[in-house]
Amino acid sequence: MNDYKKLMTSSRHSILRTISLFFILMGPGIITSNVDNDAGGITTYSLAGAEFGLKLIWTLIPIMIALIVIQEMCARMGVVTGKGLSDLIREKFGAKITFYLMIGMFFTNMGNAISNFAGVAAGMEIFGVNKLISVPISAFLVWWMVVKGTYKSVEKAFLVACVFYVSYIITGIIIKPNWSEVFVELLNPSLNFNSSEITMVIGLVGTTIAPWMQFYLQASIVEKGIKIDEYKFARFDVVMGSVVVHIVAFFIILVCAETLFKNGIKIETAKDAALSLAPLAGKYCSFLFAFGLVNASLFAASILPLSTTYLICEALGWEVGIDKKFVEAPQFYGIYSLMILLGAGTVLYPNFPLIPIMYFSQVINGIVLPFVLIFMLLLINDKKLMMNHTNGPIFNIISWLTSIILILFTILLLIYLS
Amino acid sequence: MEQNLRDFYFFSDLFKRTVYSKLGHKLGRIYDLVAQREEPYPKIIGLIIKSKLKNERFYLPWEKISQIEPQIIFEEEAPKDPSSSIQEKDAILLREEVMDKQIVDTFGAKVVRVNDLHFLRVDSHLRLVHVDVGFRGLMRRVGWEKLVDKLLQWFFSYTLPNQFISWKYVQLLSGSDLLQLSVSQKKLSHLHPADLADILEDLSGRERTAIFHALDTETAAEALEEVDPKIQKALIETIPIERASDIVEEMSPSDAADLLSDLSRERVEEILEGMEQKKAEDLRELLIHPEETAGGLMTTAYLSLNPNVTVEVAISRLRAEAPNLDIVDYIYLVDEEETLLGVVSIRDLLTAQTHQILSEIMSSRLISVKIDDDQKDVVDAFAKYGFRALPVVDENNHLKGVISFRSVLDVLAPDAG
Repeated sequence: MNDYKKLMTSSRHSILRTISLFFILMGPGIITSNVDNDAGGITTYSLAGAEFGLKLIWTLIPIMIALIVIQEMCARMGVVTGKGLSDLIREKFGAKITFYLMIGMFFTNMGNAISNFAGVAAGMEIFGVNKLISVPISAFLVWWMVVKGTYKSVEKAFLVACVFYVSYIITGIIIKPNWSEVFVELLNPSLNFNSSEITMVIGLVGTTIAPWMQFYLQASIVEKGIKIDEYKFARFDVVMGSVVVHIVAFFIILVCAETLFKNGIKIETAKDAALSLAPLAGKYCSFLFAFGLVNASLFAASILPLSTTYLICEALGWEVGIDKKFVEAPQFYGIYSLMILLGAGTVLYPNFPLIPIMYFSQVINGIVLPFVLIFMLLLINDKKLMMNHTNGPIFNIISWLTSIILILFTILLLIYLS
Repeated sequence: MEQNLRDFYFFSDLFKRTVYSKLGHKLGRIYDLVAQREEPYPKIIGLIIKSKLKNERFYLPWEKISQIEPQIIFEEEAPKDPSSSIQEKDAILLREEVMDKQIVDTFGAKVVRVNDLHFLRVDSHLRLVHVDVGFRGLMRRVGWEKLVDKLLQWFFSYTLPNQFISWKYVQLLSGSDLLQLSVSQKKLSHLHPADLADILEDLSGRERTAIFHALDTETAAEALEEVDPKIQKALIETIPIERASDIVEEMSPSDAADLLSDLSRERVEEILEGMEQKKAEDLRELLIHPEETAGGLMTTAYLSLNPNVTVEVAISRLRAEAPNLDIVDYIYLVDEEETLLGVVSIRDLLTAQTHQILSEIMSSRLISVKIDDDQKDVVDAFAKYGFRALPVVDENNHLKGVISFRSVLDVLAPDAG
């Protein structure tokens, strides 16, 4: 009896309790952000630095603001409604729209899955492992981890390995960039409206605010069962995550700009991108880069196909869950296996252009994003659904602006291409 | 009235069809169907249309629809009643509350999503008889039904079947029906508590809470015992304290103790205060023991008797107390100090003469576990001796509780079921 009382009084200290509560509730935001820096992300940031130098680095500030706003909306919807984003879309907009959206999500995320297996292939090629070996093995590994349910325990290992992104930050500091110049570029928006810069901006937005991440974030918030009065912790988690992504992105662009762009090196293979880490790691730069890329790719490759399968099956009302047998949930296993098989299979095609595919999958993300955003905005401003947790005017303005600018950019891009 | 109705309709056949006035003016498109809240098969009592010009919604009562096929014609020249005039208490708005929503199929005991609704003509009315949860319904909604049919015929000579659930077995989860749940929850009450628990786990926050609120205390307690601990905690935190006390009182002590040990101290105290004194004390006792020891697994809902009692008395005591017991397979024999002396199984009782006293038939070759034994040792003891329950004693051999096989199953296979 005494033990029990002691235990209970000790947890009564409110500061301790607040802190412990934060650590319990933390997670969805941080994990989502780190998965965000997947193969496509690293490639896009590297290309941005290598091709345009510091010219586009200013875009990170508006993208970060948009990301915080959008992810906060997802988290809030998850907490208030207790439902996933695809559930909400289905219930409000009906079967027809949802079905087409799900087809769109399937193909977009298929692109992301391909880019992640391409990331594994590119990274392992630096270690001298042929993609015909690395890709099937990693595909099997991912499939096995998820189906056998060991994923949750591996997740933390992936997360810890994300510390390797620090190598970009260290490199960024030791190459001693001209900081005043960097800050001038950071605060000085400039953009030539030509197709390559517009494509890059769409890609940057698409990789940072990937549509599937919003579904994933909301689902993990719902799964954690966070309550409305604990919401402030979840919000802090989301904001932290968004800031961390951008610090990493900032340094990747900076390092690539200072090393590759200044020396006029164009990235054509993963080895070229690895060269950016040469000032830090010397001849081991390739290994450091390759390790980071493989880790990021595997991390995302194990989450993305599963999360896509969940969101599609939930929207269309099919049985989900890895605890089900194949006959109980055929669509679930079917879509999941298809994503992994096609994702890995495509990469095995001879002379498959790994770097461009990783980049263009992110551009497609950016093109699809505004549509998902519009659905989110209509949902979060629904009084019946969100009660008194609807958006304020600032949030609405920022998200609408993001959607409209992205749509305009996409239209511009289509005009240039035709 | 001759409305020229077909025998069957789907919601998707009617949705978005244009409604004309008597003189042939377009009034608007069908936005929703209104059904009367009645059992077993709700009747359609009206349509809601969205008028094209003003973007307003109007309610058209079914009696004033003079024709459905080939064109839907409204008797009057202009609709008068705004859609807000419908009394939600007696009416179900089918699109708002049923279409695309999750429902509980109480026959198959699972949560499914509605793709379409199936109506049957009875005289001049349509009645809602089935919900369609299949792929065919989904394709019909998307407008690909014929295409998919042709493709499947061509390639596999396969016809996609309808997947219907009778409205009799449908429990709605959304909209105003939640307020009516306590009335209509008889549909839920014939589910097994374990199935009910699975359904609660499948649902999202608000719906889960609403369903749980609607259950009677006994069903709620039984279902709660089977629910995943994380969700257990969330559920018990959403209900008023008095009700929480009532539900915890109904639960088996070992499950109740597990649940309480996850809650905050204040909450536990409040819940215990609202309970019957004796039960609350038992629970306090159980709460001391760490969860992974024998003490954390045991329950106090067992029967213990003095060894001098006759078989007849023992049977009648067992019969009287059985409804509240977790352990009915054995009766434990103790002296005044609660020292464990022996055990009598229900088989021993049934095969003995009624006048025999228990000490004559008891087995004194006792297997018990110590209160602070690790749960692994408990599992080993169960595996070794094959009993359905094992008594738990302290260092002076005083009986403290009994562990049932079910609690051991939770240790061995926490994720099963």
